[in-house]
Parts: sequence; C-alpha cells; structure tokens
Amino acid sequence: MTFGSLNFVNPFGVWENPGSTAGDFYAVNFEKKAVSGRVILNLGPQHPSTHGVLRVLVELDGEYVARAEPVLGYLHRMHEKMGEVKTPWQFIPNMGRVDYLHPLAWNWAFVGAAEKLAGLTVPERAEYLRVIGCELNRIGSHLLWWGAFVMDLGGFTPILYAFEEREKINDILQIITGSRLTMANFRFGGVCADADERFFRLCAEFIPYLRERLKMYKGLVTDNVILRRRLEGIGPIDVDLCQRYGATGPILRAAGLARDTRKDYPYGVYPKLDFPIPTGPINDSFGRYLVRLAEIETSLSIIEQAIKDIPQGPIIMDKAPKATWKLPAGESYFTVEGARGQIAAHITSDGGKNPYRVKLRAPGFSNLSLFAEAAKGTLLADAIAILGSLDLVIPEIDR
Amino acid sequence: MSDPEKWLANWRAAGAWSLSRHDLAKEGLLASAFLPTKAILNCAKELKEANFSLLDLSALETQEGFVVTYHFDSLNEPGRLAFRALVPHKKPHLPSLYDVFQGAEWHERETADFFGLIFDQNPNLIPLLLADDHYGPPPLRKNPADLAPLKKLGLLGSFEILDPDFGALIGEDSQKESQS
Repeated sequence: MTFGSLNFVNPFGVWENPGSTAGDFYAVNFEKKAVSGRVILNLGPQHPSTHGVLRVLVELDGEYVARAEPVLGYLHRMHEKMGEVKTPWQFIPNMGRVDYLHPLAWNWAFVGAAEKLAGLTVPERAEYLRVIGCELNRIGSHLLWWGAFVMDLGGFTPILYAFEEREKINDILQIITGSRLTMANFRFGGVCADADERFFRLCAEFIPYLRERLKMYKGLVTDNVILRRRLEGIGPIDVDLCQRYGATGPILRAAGLARDTRKDYPYGVYPKLDFPIPTGPINDSFGRYLVRLAEIETSLSIIEQAIKDIPQGPIIMDKAPKATWKLPAGESYFTVEGARGQIAAHITSDGGKNPYRVKLRAPGFSNLSLFAEAAKGTLLADAIAILGSLDLVIPEIDR
Repeated sequence: MSDPEKWLANWRAAGAWSLSRHDLAKEGLLASAFLPTKAILNCAKELKEANFSLLDLSALETQEGFVVTYHFDSLNEPGRLAFRALVPHKKPHLPSLYDVFQGAEWHERETADFFGLIFDQNPNLIPLLLADDHYGPPPLRKNPADLAPLKKLGLLGSFEILDPDFGALIGEDSQKESQS
C-alpha cells in the first residue's frame, strides 16, 4: 500500500483468522484468553441496554461475569479527520453530532478552544445564553439517561415521563438553536441567535414545573424498593479506579471527589453564578443515580440565576470570524463540563486554512474503559446496571 | 493550583529534552516537557504517586516524527500538566502506560488505529475504533508534503531546550531561552 511517497505496512500484521468458525475477529481474540468450560456471551451491538451500538463480550462463570470486553467502533465517524479537512467554522456543526444528548457542551469545547487560541472575546449576553443553553441541555441529557437507565432495569414507564420533560426542553432550546437535536448555535465570538421574550417566559415556567416533577420522581422511582435492590451496593467505583482510568464527571463525584470543570477551570460566566457541586454519599450505582438527579437541581438553579442576571447587549463580537477564518498557529486545550464528565478539545494549528490537528476528549470513552474492571465478579444482570449507571452515549465514545 | 516548578525539576532530572511553561488561560496547560521515550513510564509513575490521573492522550504527525502528548490532571487540586514524546517515523514504538494507568490501554489503541504507532507491552493492541479489516494507511497520517515542522505548531510555549540534539532537530537554539 502506498500513500503519497510513503510506503505503508500495516504494523499489526494480518488480522484475519482463516478457517475460523468461532466468530468474528473480536470474538476469536476474546476467546483466546477464556477458561475452558465457560460461556462466552455477546451483548449487542444491537441491544436495548447498550444505548446505541455498543457491543460487550463477556465470559460467564455460571451467572457471574469473569471477564468483559467492550468492543467499540460501530458508530465511528472520524470527526477528528473531518476537523483537519474543514475550516474551523465549517467544523462547528460536527460538534452537535458527537454527543447527541449534550451537543452544546461540545460546541462550547471546540469554539472555546478556538477563541482561546485566537484571543477572541465574547459579549456577556452571549456567555449567559451559552450557560442557559448548556444547562438546559444537561437537564435534558440527565432526564433521558434517567428514563433509559430505569428501563434497563425493567421499569418501562419512567422513560415516558422523561421524554415529556425533554420535549419541553427541546421546545425552549429550539428558540435559540433552531433545532431539537444536533444543536450548533455557537459561533466564534458569540452565538448565532438571540433569545426572545418567549424563551425567558418558557424557562421561568419550566423551572418550578420540573422541581415539582422531581418530587414525583423521588416518590415513584428513587424510593422504589425494586430499584433500590437493583442498585444499592452494586458496582462500587472508588477514587482509585477513577484515577487509574481517567474517569470524570458524575462517576468521580459519586466517588466523593468534588471535581467539576465549571469550578476547576472556570469558563464563560460560571464564576459569577453560585452553585454547589453535588457529591455522592456512596460510590455505587445508586450513588451515581443520586448525583445525576442532584445535578438536575443544580442546573435549574444556575438557569434561574442566569435568566435573572442576563444583560442586554450584542450576542456576537464585532467582526466575528467568517467561514474562511484561519486559526493562528499554536496549541489550545480547552475543557468544559459535559453531562458525562470533562469534555476537551485540543486544537493544534500551523496557521493554515484548516486546523492541523483536532483531538476530542470524550468523557464517556474513559468512563466506559473502567467497565471491564468494575463488572468483574458481578452477576450479569448487575453488570447491565453498572453499564447503565455509567451514562453512555456511544456516538461520543466512538466519535 | 498544583505547582508546575516541582514537576519541571523532576522532568529535568529525568533527562527531558526540553521544558516549557504555558499560559493556562490560553493554552489550557501549566507546563509540559519533551521526554525521551525511555523516561515516560517512570515519569508517569511519579505523577500517579502524586495523585495525578491520565485524562487524555493525543498524537499528531510532524516532519520530525509523531508528537504524542499525555495530559494529566491532579485529583487534589486543578492544574493540568502534560509530557510529550517525539517518536521517529522509522521506529514508531513507545512504551505502554498500561501498568501505571489502566485507562491508557484504550487511548493507546485509539492512537495505534489513527497513526500506526506501536505501544509495546499494551496487553491488547488490537483495533479499537477502526474495523479489524480496515485496509489502508492509518487515517490521521498526513501526506509527507503536508507535514508541518514542529517549530511551527507552537507546542513549546515559553521554553528551555536542554538537549542540543533535540534543539538541532527542531531548529531551535539550545542556548536560547525564549518565547516561541
């Protein structure tokens, strides 16, 4: 294989397993280390509990998981390559497609990295609009996780409630982003559309409404004895495990560390807003469940403050970059707190038309990598509960 | 914020090729260093003992070779640090950090997919995001004509070159201590 003037040799050698009837490449590779007499089970890639197309190979000893290995790549789209062949401005819509549940945080990571590198300043009204959008989006993400997670555990009804709330959030976000999914309203130096009176009215109505609903969720689901038995004491993930695998977000906070990018590396107008970092009383699946529900409350309080404090003014800087704008040469690593943990965009530019390299750090990628260790020795049904409690969004993990 | 000077001193003792101080607000890093590949495992161990976590691994290809950047963040207090390795095109081998940070396994497999780098001692170096029958060059390898020199990418921040050979390779004077 030649590539330019470069002779390319696959460094791994040949992958095929000629004559194998045991399965595909990953199954054969997984089976090599298996203990004789154990069952190899393939979960996914098309399985409701895998939230997309995640495949997990498990080796079962009776009903206990002896070994597990997630197999990724079924939703891989090579966003990082697209970052190198598009101008920075053209690449913004990609950010709405990396993580379909929290697209605005990804918008912010990429746009923020470019703004830092080029030294652009964002008007204050735009910063507030970013915060409101991002937090509404976070609530939507946590709500959908909540419904899907309870559905993994066998309770179908909550996802219908979660979708009702999520629809309301999408109605609100549609006003400022123009879309209900794959939102991409961030621009270098601001946002593309202003909020109107209706937007603020709907936000103000939504906050007390959701607070009431959260009380109902507690009564219906959180205090439900079946849910508690399925989650309490299942899949403890401590700080040491998080450290070794680079886990962030609600998983790290449920382990007891109050780490939040919004506080650690302040961006936007977060330093002006007053909010706590919820940490878990316990580090098991139920602790992670509680942390996410507490984060919904936190986000509501952030939105409440932001719609009160938002100033009038422009929503994008003067002479904002256009489609052909070039990044100055240099490197920038910008992090934001997504619904699943620390999102980072690492842009390196040589001053050319397109970025030289765009690396995206997906929090779900690191969070999922600890699954094999966390699931070891648990019952298969509990492994599903642990998988759900990690809050996976596969497009983000596969990028 | 964690103290970058302590780590810069550690890396200097570990035989770093260059040390850099960065502007956290602009570049998102406190400090970084180019380390010889044989030193990165020990330096990762030191960081792990000081309660740092490996959060990210990013690679890029330059004229001089592959630059692999390991991003660390402390669990005690915010303060991001990074060390880098320069891997020549002819021998794209690096030690795996799996023994220290098990999360490195997937980051290394991803980098192996995209750049064709080989991480020795990685326990399961099979394709992660690309298909097992992927045919063709690693997707993020650039055409040699498109490769930029390392100097042009501004990876060094406010730097100090310790190894004259490294300075000569990237075209920076080792005597000079300056802003790139």
